[in-house]
Amino acid sequence: MFSAASALSLAGCPKGGAQGGAAGARPLPPAVPARLEVDALAPMAGNDPSAKSKLIDIMASENARWFKVLKAAQPAPAHFIGYQVHERRSVTMDAVDGVLLADEDDTQRALDVEVRVGSEQIDSRHPLRDPRLAAFTSLARLGSVPFGEDEKAIRHHLWLETDRRYREGLLLLNMVLTERQVSVRDEEKKSADFTSSKPQLFFQKKATLEYDRGVWIKRVRDCSKRAARGVATRSNCRADFELNTIYYVNSEGSQIQTSWTNARFLVQVGVKHDDGMPLSRVEQAFAPTPAELPDDAKIDQLITVVNRDLDALHKAPLADPFVGPAILEGRAAAVFFHEVFGHRIEGHRQELEVEGQTFTKQIGNDIMPTWLSVYDDPTIRRLNGLPLNGYYRFDDEGVTAQRTSLVDNGILKGFLMGRNPIPGFEHSNGHGRKEPGNISVARQGNLVVETQRSVTKDELFQQLLAEIKRQKKPYGFIFTDIAGGFTNTTRVSFQGFKVNPTMTYRVYPDGRREVVRGVDISGTPLSALGSIISAARPVETFNGICGAESGWVPVSASAPSLLLSNLELDRSFNPTDRGPELPPPSIARAHGGVQ
Amino acid sequence: MIGSDRGSSIRAGAAAAALALLAGPSSALAKPKPAAGSPSAAKPDESTRSKAITEPVLDAVAAEMERSLNGLRIEGATPPYFLGYKLTEVEVNDAVASMGGITSQKERHFVNLEAHVHVGSYQFDNSNFVAAGRDDLDGRSEQSLPLEPNPASVRRAAWLATDEAYKEAIEQFQAKQEVLKSGAAGGLSKVPSYSKYKPTAMNEQILVPKLETVEEMKQRAEKISAVLRKTASVRDSRVAFTSYLERRWLLNSEGNAVHDTRRVSGVMIVASAQADDGQELTLTYSRYGLTAADLPEDKELAAEAGKLAEQLDALRKAPLVDSYTGPVLFEGDGAVAVVRNTLAPHLSGTPLPVGVGGRDAVRFGGQLSDRLGLRVVTPILTLIDDPTTATVDKTSVIGSYRADDEGVAGQRVEVIKDGKLATLLMSRTPSKQIDQSNGHARLAMPGGVFRGSATNLLVGVKGGLEQKALVRRLIKEAHTQGLKYGIVVRLMDDPAITANSELTRFERLQLLQSADDEAPPLALLAFRVYPDGREELVRGVQLKPVGVRAWRDVIAGSRKRTVRNFLASVDDPLLVQVGGAGPGFVPSGGVESSVATPDLLFRELDIVPSALGRRMAPAVPAP
Repeated sequence: MFSAASALSLAGCPKGGAQGGAAGARPLPPAVPARLEVDALAPMAGNDPSAKSKLIDIMASENARWFKVLKAAQPAPAHFIGYQVHERRSVTMDAVDGVLLADEDDTQRALDVEVRVGSEQIDSRHPLRDPRLAAFTSLARLGSVPFGEDEKAIRHHLWLETDRRYREGLLLLNMVLTERQVSVRDEEKKSADFTSSKPQLFFQKKATLEYDRGVWIKRVRDCSKRAARGVATRSNCRADFELNTIYYVNSEGSQIQTSWTNARFLVQVGVKHDDGMPLSRVEQAFAPTPAELPDDAKIDQLITVVNRDLDALHKAPLADPFVGPAILEGRAAAVFFHEVFGHRIEGHRQELEVEGQTFTKQIGNDIMPTWLSVYDDPTIRRLNGLPLNGYYRFDDEGVTAQRTSLVDNGILKGFLMGRNPIPGFEHSNGHGRKEPGNISVARQGNLVVETQRSVTKDELFQQLLAEIKRQKKPYGFIFTDIAGGFTNTTRVSFQGFKVNPTMTYRVYPDGRREVVRGVDISGTPLSALGSIISAARPVETFNGICGAESGWVPVSASAPSLLLSNLELDRSFNPTDRGPELPPPSIARAHGGVQ
Repeated sequence: MIGSDRGSSIRAGAAAAALALLAGPSSALAKPKPAAGSPSAAKPDESTRSKAITEPVLDAVAAEMERSLNGLRIEGATPPYFLGYKLTEVEVNDAVASMGGITSQKERHFVNLEAHVHVGSYQFDNSNFVAAGRDDLDGRSEQSLPLEPNPASVRRAAWLATDEAYKEAIEQFQAKQEVLKSGAAGGLSKVPSYSKYKPTAMNEQILVPKLETVEEMKQRAEKISAVLRKTASVRDSRVAFTSYLERRWLLNSEGNAVHDTRRVSGVMIVASAQADDGQELTLTYSRYGLTAADLPEDKELAAEAGKLAEQLDALRKAPLVDSYTGPVLFEGDGAVAVVRNTLAPHLSGTPLPVGVGGRDAVRFGGQLSDRLGLRVVTPILTLIDDPTTATVDKTSVIGSYRADDEGVAGQRVEVIKDGKLATLLMSRTPSKQIDQSNGHARLAMPGGVFRGSATNLLVGVKGGLEQKALVRRLIKEAHTQGLKYGIVVRLMDDPAITANSELTRFERLQLLQSADDEAPPLALLAFRVYPDGREELVRGVQLKPVGVRAWRDVIAGSRKRTVRNFLASVDDPLLVQVGGAGPGFVPSGGVESSVATPDLLFRELDIVPSALGRRMAPAVPAP
């Protein structure tokens, strides 16, 4: 194990002026890197073979028994068999308006068996061109395996699920081969369907989840009561704790047993605006254990923030569509990068025919200012002291998590890869991820945007004012938070992105700020990234959970605040609900003081 | 929602009625009669008193109801004339094991409020209509409620739900008017949309015996499921226990205010194997009762599991049935299934909502709605549906309740007397023939009404025979028809229980497209009976549709009756399968029901062989 609590090496000067968009004529930010204190953990650190569970041996032996037969099976052999047992205890305590809404404690043990039928070159996971056929490929479902270590019962369930998956694999391979016979002009896919990987042996003791239920129930209940302030008509506080243990073996010889806990605390307030627009503000904190979640004083700060913002949003006017300069503050910039850049850099999207392949042919090209670099590193546990949600040791395909350079000094260098190779990137870099019951694809872990040049936040604000004047705009914008968004990576429709800012400020040339609502940030990735003209320290982190075709996975994104010369704002979808016809009820009025 | 897991959905229980175990101070809502000394007379437990729904909470809903009835208006739109609220609090424990090890365990507790709005008038309102492409419009809306009493929160939920339901009702009303005025769907009728009902008040909380704990159920499931690991040919198996209670409070703007609680425990055993020719075979065993005391003890369950494994093993080697037309005798669970699947749905008198068609229309039945006073089944049969009894033939039945889903007192109804249709099972949605509810609103329909449905269905037969005599009658009938053998059916599939089929999604979708919607479920245990009395197990026995007409040709029944409790699925079982059930699937959703029936001999039914689920043998033998 090593703890690299040192600033990242940012040696070397930019290779030239800032690239892209309207940036060329402006002065570069000073060569002051934004601080990145990285606490990373090598995936193999803490390997303890004595912690190996009997379950791993049972899985390995059943896997070997099947592989021996299936690798030579006719009419179609299997070239890879992976077993994953994901045991997850999920604890939820949820309160609304001072009373408990949910109090749950569930443990599940899910079995995922992957049998890849065919050859590495062409197998049952080869993409199908016909979307109607492709819908049938989602045969995945959660398999079941009993708790405990009873060999007979567990082995039987592994056997059963492998038989089902092999059968499904044959069905899929036949679909793939038939489609190729009748509809593919010539083979456009230049890489194999699968890449093998070095076997890994790693064992970790089962973690323990420690918390006092009574204390936490009181905390969520009290928190939701305290958050019922201002204009909020609904206030919600929730604690989610998880204890995860993953047992993984595959036919390459990997045996991996990892175990960890995580915890989240969420504060949310909401109100429906008189014009029908639902308004809400969420703040959440993530930590490796419940004990490391914010204390009551810090929760009060979260409550203050969400209430203050919600009150401001409730008074805020609707904004009009706009193109012009804007600042994305740290967390907003991080989510922006996750949506606009991160999803398009996932390896499998570079070759699927329907995908937009925004960056496919851009390797070696400048795609953003030369003083920016981007990488994804799942091995980072903490960044600038904050726990990162996208930390893991091995991905869901048994590959070691690796720091992957995506953009180096403005130049596109690589993609996030699972075991689905693409030309020029023939191997996984440990980003094949999924939620149990899904098929792994390349996903983000901890996305980090680092800058070699930065100003202070105040200076960035002044630069925004200058840019507003320079472009002769009546105002510019600052976004402090983005709730998420979507990015259409396919080429069947407009390949733009749309992200939903939760806190938007209109900034006038004299420096006045005003909260507004009702706009989304939209655009196309290359022009948006090309219009970055400055950055401000410090780097901020957004922790969250990201959903895509392989389910929900924990992720983080970290970035400095960024000034963009041109950002496009659209009017957001504003439901035309009338809002309730009657005013909110008052228990006190109607019920003689019952409260 | 797809799936029938009561523990997972806000919709859970929306279709079902209540079960009362204790008397309350009400004259109109009589308690179901419990049998003296029956196991289910297990003591109600003070711990089952609701902590979420209290008097101030109910007062808050009532206050919001009053405010909405008087004040909720949209200019130019039809105002509400009826508001109904259902508050439901559900607690479910369940445990599933396979081969002696637990695969899933759950404890669930949730509280919901559902608002139900009718606009227009009793004569013509929005209900019982499904607008094309807008089947979400049903004048209903739901909200989650906290687990602790908070009148302010609950009133707020009632406010939002009422508003949403009202707006849906207005749109539904407008669409219904346009469609019927245009003459589409039969045009406007003089039959009122909704019937009036004299309100009753019964708010005293009904306590029930407490739930079995997950720990208790885990131990039982592990023990029983371990029996199935002894039979090598068992491919997949699971044993599930469930225990739930559902408290419900129904309030409406007519002044009705009733409370009811139901309490059910159940066990199910499911196992599958593969026949020598590759066909997938499944057998099930299930029992439900009011509490675990109504379920068989471990020793008996273990024996049943062993028997099931043996039968499954025998089924693997059994020949596929040949096409057959001739007499069929339904015995025991088989008789319960044929009643449940082919006759019970037709006892409903609720008109199908305008706009419901296809598979749903078939599933909801109702083919007898214009046959009042006519002979509809063989004169030897009499059918009574009785939600007011708590036991039938000394067995606790779970289809009992004090008030149905519309808050109407359950009534004992003689539906068919000596083969003639006397009346039908009604909710508050009237038909041309019957204008009042008889307290059988149980199954929620698309379009925002409840369907009059069977609860505790009692089938009586005149001149019942001893079992052996009945088999002789079968053989004689087969001989008369020139057949070498007759067929006995002893078990039919319950797709809600065997939902973990091995069909791939591809196969299931194909099945949905090509299955015969009207055919009853597959017969899982069926035999050829030869003139010498010899029985031969056969598999793949698929009955062709058994229409109501076939019931005129029931030629004999047994003296002895079989009583079975079950949960009638509220969802289309095939759709549930296409959606896929998770590994911890325990069907604890559905309408609590029971059927008591003699064995029944049909003169002539058609059987076709089913080769469904045939696939290659595993490349690697089971460990």
